[in-house]
Amino acid sequence: MLKLFRYGFAELSSISQLSRCLSIGACSRAFTSQARRDPSETDEATAAINEGERLNLESDSTRTNSNADPHQNPYKNEMEETFAPFRFVYPEFLPDPTIKWRNRVREKLERMDMLKRRSNIDIPEFYVGSILSVTLSDRNAPGKTNTFVGICIQREGTAMRSMFTLRNVVDGHGVEITFDLYNPTILNITCLRLEKRLDENLRYLRDAPPEYSTFPFDMVPELRNPDAPVPINTLKVKLNPKPWHAKWQLWDLKGVEDFSHELESREWRKLNTWKFSEGYETAKYDLMKTYRSTIPAEEQTEIYSEVHQQLAKLTASLRKQKRKRTFVKPQKTV
Amino acid sequence: MTSTLLPSVRRTFQTGRGQLLQNAGVVGPLWKLGNLQFLLNGSNTAFGGSVTFIQTREMSKVKHRHTHPRHIWAKKRRERNDQELTDDNQSFLKKIIYDTYGPTTFDWRAENTGMPFVSPLKQIIHERGVWEPRSIRTGVIARKIGIHPMWDKEGKRMLTTLLQVTDNHVLKYIPPEVVQRNYGKRFTRQDVGLLLVGAESADPQRFTKEYLNLFEESGLPPKTKISRFMVTPNAKLQPGTPLFATHFKVGQLVEIFGHTIDHGFQGVMKRWGFKGMPASHGVTKSHRRGGNTGGGGEKARIWPGTKLPGHMGNRWRKLKGQEIVRINTKYNVLYIRGPAVMGEVGSFVTVCDTFMSSVETMDKSTIPFPTHYPEESEETIPEEYYVPNLFNFGEPSIVFEEKR
Amino acid sequence: MSALKQGIASPLRLFTKTSPLMPLVIRNFHASSCLCRLQLLSRVRCVDNSAIGKQAMAEGKPPKIIHVYNKKRRATIGDKVLMTVKGEMKKGIIVGVKEHQKHGIPRSDTNNVVLIDDNGTPLGTRINAPIPMILRGIMKEKTIAKGADYTKILSIASRFV
Repeated sequence: MLKLFRYGFAELSSISQLSRCLSIGACSRAFTSQARRDPSETDEATAAINEGERLNLESDSTRTNSNADPHQNPYKNEMEETFAPFRFVYPEFLPDPTIKWRNRVREKLERMDMLKRRSNIDIPEFYVGSILSVTLSDRNAPGKTNTFVGICIQREGTAMRSMFTLRNVVDGHGVEITFDLYNPTILNITCLRLEKRLDENLRYLRDAPPEYSTFPFDMVPELRNPDAPVPINTLKVKLNPKPWHAKWQLWDLKGVEDFSHELESREWRKLNTWKFSEGYETAKYDLMKTYRSTIPAEEQTEIYSEVHQQLAKLTASLRKQKRKRTFVKPQKTV
Repeated sequence: MTSTLLPSVRRTFQTGRGQLLQNAGVVGPLWKLGNLQFLLNGSNTAFGGSVTFIQTREMSKVKHRHTHPRHIWAKKRRERNDQELTDDNQSFLKKIIYDTYGPTTFDWRAENTGMPFVSPLKQIIHERGVWEPRSIRTGVIARKIGIHPMWDKEGKRMLTTLLQVTDNHVLKYIPPEVVQRNYGKRFTRQDVGLLLVGAESADPQRFTKEYLNLFEESGLPPKTKISRFMVTPNAKLQPGTPLFATHFKVGQLVEIFGHTIDHGFQGVMKRWGFKGMPASHGVTKSHRRGGNTGGGGEKARIWPGTKLPGHMGNRWRKLKGQEIVRINTKYNVLYIRGPAVMGEVGSFVTVCDTFMSSVETMDKSTIPFPTHYPEESEETIPEEYYVPNLFNFGEPSIVFEEKR
Repeated sequence: MSALKQGIASPLRLFTKTSPLMPLVIRNFHASSCLCRLQLLSRVRCVDNSAIGKQAMAEGKPPKIIHVYNKKRRATIGDKVLMTVKGEMKKGIIVGVKEHQKHGIPRSDTNNVVLIDDNGTPLGTRINAPIPMILRGIMKEKTIAKGADYTKILSIASRFV
């Protein structure tokens, strides 16, 4: 029998929490409470984010303690809870869920290659909305390096195919560069500001005023408390007037100011039809849809328990580097 | 005169027997040039020494695909009887099978190393021939397990196809004399024998007795997939010899045989890339149809080879001169340059040395002959082999240095 | 109007709204999905400071491609194109495109062009937009092959990304 259980939309955690969790051996209370959250509570949580309230660990644990019975879901075990946060920090270790392309041996070989590459280059934890700087060695300018700074607007692909896109406005011209995460010409990836946004991708920044995606190339990395959770930036972007690059009204964007005055009556009509025909409101209850589009929880556990030792070493080395610097309280962004 | 004679001649061609040709009264020599067969007749025949040619239609081109296995093949799968065995009996059967064959279940879906199970041979007798320039080695059977990108040392991205050599054993050797007797002149070379190779051991209860008889000589458990390879007698192998991915070397060119992806019955738009017809402007019921299929007059019929709807894919294809860029010896995986290997993930292909001598740059005498015996090698085999210009992920990042 | 259909970037569009030469009524929707590829009759944005280029952009009549000097007839970074600029035929080199690019090659929000003459000498003295690094390699290759010196536009570039 297939297990249909998936993790709820758990609050994301940082690398340092992971390493601490692994070093202690047993998972901390905060983690269990996060991983055990139900879908209904996820809605509450997202609502809370929308209000601009930053979630902290204590309030979470108090909220979920009441129904945190381990016997409630027999499929959940301690291992699964331990490795639950990995899927946010290292999402590219999960293979493509398309069943006809899956093969255990190939996935394992790919993971081994990725770990080899990670031992040579520090690939930091980053999310859509974080600001990164990437240094490349360029064949067109031998002997020199090429650095680009920008906000990560998209992460796509799995395993060796994983890519991320940085966006910046240089001299008033919007520029985006897509990087392969495991391309050997990458010399350095630095996370200048670690934070998350409310949306899965920020492609709408193309239709936003340039100040939302302008970052100086000489930006200094912001220092943050490594034990603190990753902050969520609840910034609401004001889009330019139409025409847009895409029909953003269909995307259910969270991080955008209300643009309903932009839409005409025929677009409203179409939007409602679309919502109905796509099963927009019922999609979240479609268990099989979720099952086909994600890797099952028990397989995630299998994968991450296999690679976690090496990953823990990498995270430890990352932490060591961070400790060398002085601690500065994270500043509020934008 | 010609019109009366020709049909009989054509009939005799279709049978493909030289004797019948003689019975029909045609004695002259025969050349074949593409689709045309030339008949050069002596002066004693009615043709008066002239050269005539007859167009024969190659039906193999028209009929692309056979839907049934050949009648000479042994029936493979056994129908399961509904008899209910008790648990004791089942475990007893399992024990018998295990005692006879050893482990028999190879699951390619699970995480496996692809290593051959223990050979039934107590000792592999290495009566191996010496390599000669025109000798042909055996090939291996592999599963396509996926595609993923790799980079070369210039930082250029390439796609590689992964083929896993799964539990391969040699089953049988058929010497050239027997091949000649059974198959006649079907092979271009007369001095070659055949080597039967099987992949992936399976539970013997699933197969028929006649299929199991194929494995009697080697003492192996039945294999899910068997295939035969043309070999010269000096490259013959003892039945029961295991085959590994190290049968090949990196940088070598290989030929890959297999079936393409089966798309089922498809229309002309998907099968042949036709444009279809407009969605509107009065078009009804023929938005995806092929349209006209031919003219009138003398050509008032569907000509052979017309592009029509039909079964798409699942055809036997071969790829020549594919380069092996990387070999994983632990998991027996060959990395082929390019995404062109036919079939979907999980399908079987056969891999053998290329016959394109003009393209092959590698010195063939350095390739292990007749195959690689890992137990004989003195040094420990490294886990990975790379071609020199492929980026190894264990190395530091690529830096382009300034030319002076 | 055709400029709007081709999907020129927003700053330009805002500019055309205020231009007296454009009609006052502007449709704020695309008649078709915007074409990211550069082909015949595509509108491009002139990013150098040549007099004719600046004037054409200021009037809201951006250059229009009428020929692409390659076999595919699709222009991408580094391709030479022939354009009409204010009624004159001018050649130019594409220095930035909207379509999706591979690893490490920048994709810009507008399709950018730099005007050159027949010898490859740029008409302007300065390029105001960031230039993709890959253009160095492409221009050097083309210079060897074609005879004209295209590397001059690299020397007037203000910034490489």
